[in-house]
Amino acid sequence: MKFTLKYFYFLSIIILFAACSGSDSIEIDEEKPTISIDYTDGFPQGCTSLIKGETYNFRAMVTDNQELAAYSIDIHHNFDHHTHDDQVAECSLEDTKTAVNPLIFIENYTIEEGGTNYEINVSITIPDDVDTGDYHCAFSVTDATGWQSRTSVDIKIID
Amino acid sequence: MYGFYPSSLSRTIIKILLYFKIMLKKTLLSVLLFFSFYTVSLGQDLYQIKGSVLNANTLQPIEGANIIGKNRYAISSKTGEFILKNIAKGTYTFTVSYVGFITKKITVNVNSETENLSIHLIEGTTSLEEIKVLGKSKERIVKEIPMVSQSVSKEFLENNRENSLMQTLSKIPGVSTINIGSGQSKPVIRGLGFNRVAVVQNGIKHEAQQWGNDHGLEIDQQGIENIQIIKGPASLLYGSDAIAGVVDIQPNKIPSKNSFNVEVNILGETNNDLIGVSAGITSRKENWFYRGRLTYRDYGDYKVPTDQINYENYIFDLHNNNLRNTAGKEADASISIGYDKNSITSETSFSNVNAKNGFFANAHGLEVRTSSIDYDSSNRDIDLPFHKVNHFKITNNTSIKTDNHKLYFDFGFQNNHREEHSEPVPHGYMPKPSDSKERVFKKNTYSFNARDAFKPNSKHDMVVGLNIEYQDNNIDGWGFLIPEYDRFTAGIFGYDQFEVNSNLHILAGLRYDYGFVDTKAYYDWFQSTINNDDGSTSYVYLQRSQDKTLNFGNVSASLGLSYINNKTTYKVNIGRSFRMPLSNELASDGVNYHMYRYERGNIDLDPEISYQLDVDVDHTSKSFSIGVSPFVNIFENYIYLNPTSSYYETLQIYEYTQAKVFRIGGEFRANTSINKNLQLDTSVEYVYSRQTSGAKEGFTLPFSPPLSGLLSVNYRLKDAFLFKNPQLMADFRITAAQEEIVPPEEKTVGYQVLNMSFLSELDVFKNNDPIEMRLKLNNVFDTKYFNHTSFYRLIDVPEAGRNLSLSVTIPF
Repeated sequence: MKFTLKYFYFLSIIILFAACSGSDSIEIDEEKPTISIDYTDGFPQGCTSLIKGETYNFRAMVTDNQELAAYSIDIHHNFDHHTHDDQVAECSLEDTKTAVNPLIFIENYTIEEGGTNYEINVSITIPDDVDTGDYHCAFSVTDATGWQSRTSVDIKIID
Repeated sequence: MYGFYPSSLSRTIIKILLYFKIMLKKTLLSVLLFFSFYTVSLGQDLYQIKGSVLNANTLQPIEGANIIGKNRYAISSKTGEFILKNIAKGTYTFTVSYVGFITKKITVNVNSETENLSIHLIEGTTSLEEIKVLGKSKERIVKEIPMVSQSVSKEFLENNRENSLMQTLSKIPGVSTINIGSGQSKPVIRGLGFNRVAVVQNGIKHEAQQWGNDHGLEIDQQGIENIQIIKGPASLLYGSDAIAGVVDIQPNKIPSKNSFNVEVNILGETNNDLIGVSAGITSRKENWFYRGRLTYRDYGDYKVPTDQINYENYIFDLHNNNLRNTAGKEADASISIGYDKNSITSETSFSNVNAKNGFFANAHGLEVRTSSIDYDSSNRDIDLPFHKVNHFKITNNTSIKTDNHKLYFDFGFQNNHREEHSEPVPHGYMPKPSDSKERVFKKNTYSFNARDAFKPNSKHDMVVGLNIEYQDNNIDGWGFLIPEYDRFTAGIFGYDQFEVNSNLHILAGLRYDYGFVDTKAYYDWFQSTINNDDGSTSYVYLQRSQDKTLNFGNVSASLGLSYINNKTTYKVNIGRSFRMPLSNELASDGVNYHMYRYERGNIDLDPEISYQLDVDVDHTSKSFSIGVSPFVNIFENYIYLNPTSSYYETLQIYEYTQAKVFRIGGEFRANTSINKNLQLDTSVEYVYSRQTSGAKEGFTLPFSPPLSGLLSVNYRLKDAFLFKNPQLMADFRITAAQEEIVPPEEKTVGYQVLNMSFLSELDVFKNNDPIEMRLKLNNVFDTKYFNHTSFYRLIDVPEAGRNLSLSVTIPF
């Protein structure tokens, strides 16, 4: 009896571990949406040069297992090399410099129809008076649950 | 051999001893008889040594301890006291022993009457003999209190010392930490942390920037003697913020009269090249006493068992496995002056903790950064981003005893000054700031507590009390996260512990708190572009927070019982606790650059209310003990930072909301002595959390600790060379995967990690206490694993690699 009691707790641990391995029935969304510019029409690709005054269609594919909700596009200068992109290509950066009148593009959009597939397609005109140089373009997307995915790419604005 | 024994008293003692020898047949007493018992009285001044023997853990008297010296002998009384009479001037060494405790050698220099010599024995795993203890031990008192709490001794703290106080305490089942690098961590009790755990030092609630992700505790872990941990709602005693538990760092024991102690601790570690020195002094003549401590630590970047970190699509290569820019340093000083006479005890302490810690440079929080700083040129420099923090504290603890009352008063003043620095970069409409001072918090806290403990009759122990606290928090820097605020809280409480019979005790208590938070307006220092509906564009300094005053009132209550049935103790406790919303929860409205998100407060939040049922069953017998402490907890309105699916200026909006939460879990512990040298300890902890309403219904809570078990083996070796009481310890932690997550968390795989340590006393100085040494090898196999509750888990940084540390404590 004493022996049994003494080692009783080893058994208890096994039981506890086993008991806790069960799962729940409530369905919750544990999947993030995805975002990609890595397809033929995806734009801009890494190291793309954008010409001042021109208009471009920024395109990215987003998917989710349940329901897409919103996305954003952020273009900001990288004159101080404060960040880098997550694409495969490594762009050669120009020398660091001080911003005078950099392009700042900050826009949010909702995906009204929800759905599980959507192509971001936003037309952006590069103003004539902005600083040329290294820029950074970041896309992000959320799903209805509140999961987010991001991707970013190094680009240049040239004359 | 047998000296002459002139007094009849000595003769009586010998007779008693011989009687015991026959009765108990203990070899120990044979050893006693080896000594002679006589007193010398030939033309010399004779003195007496008075003292007491105490349990080092509980500070309760030990009855029947043997105090044996050459030709001297005494046994401690019921109150732990002993007297050695007729002692000539000179230096004497005594051996103090008691079964179940580690035998201690003390040296006394006798040149006057020596009183209040206090001897602390440490509980050991040496053979336990059949002992009957009369009177109420500390263990007994703890058993009788229905509240489920755990006491942490100095011995535990020393044997398990890690880089920060909370890492040391995380070995206790149900306690875990949120770590920020190698030197900082904040407490988590049963999965809840931040402002839901109150940290109390010298009776005063420690007030820093505990709401923040990258904030640690600003407390010197050296020199702490005793910590009380309550794993459950404790608003009744501690007010708001103690909703999930309390880490109560008790005032150190008052030194005994005519004592003087100096100890120096030196620590070295290989993983982060840490060097630490801490020196403490305590002294007392008659009624006045003082203590002081200086601590300095300096460490480099810590090493992780990986060459590169993959975070989302980014790859960060690490130089020499160093987690770039995680070096730090800390300098702490404290001094206290106290007075202790008859019925009055008062101690005033001044302490200052100053630290500077670097943050991982490639990604702080969730923001990926590149920099022209050459981080890899040295692993000891602290570059941007870093924070520096200074915590200054004055406390006074005074107690006054009258016939039937004991009055306690605590006063506290704290100044917390924290600065976060990072490389200035433009963001959104914010141009590049001119300096690195991103955020500055200056917080002053004034506290006052009073309580009266009294016994209206022999069956009741009653306490009534009052807590008042006032805070004002000021901000500076170019980043905005929380507004300036003033906060006032006041609470009155009373509770009664009623002894139904000697084995059944009931505790009931009630508390009322009133408080207000007064938030201050804040406007951006730069203009943002607003596209108006009519097509025009305006440039405005956006308002981030408003002038608002919010009032809160709340009732807390607790009811519990304790029933002792021989070796088994049953405790049941039910309580209601609350927490006032913080100013950031109410009024934040800005970009958290580190987390790369937009955080929005909610001025309509109610105080959090929590109900918890705690059960604790403990069975302790001679050779083993086993205990289980399950709990069920319901939050009516848990305040939760909810990631929404909306954007603000391309950043995801996180909004403070309230949700019902259901939690269940507990701890299991067991301990057995296989033989007199080998001891096994095991514990398992688990918490299940569910949000049962709101936007994240069905999800768990952030930073939920996974199922985890700890198996500890302690083996006592034979004395060899200089090594006295050497012991080997191995801690094997098995942690299951954490599959329960909530956005933006990632699932974390399970792991096993082994830590080993060798502890010993070194008997180098003949007349002094021995040197204590500890050699500790953490993460023996250099396992790469992730801690789900680490701040750096979010960016896929694994835990620290193998670390060898050597700690030596030298008494003078």
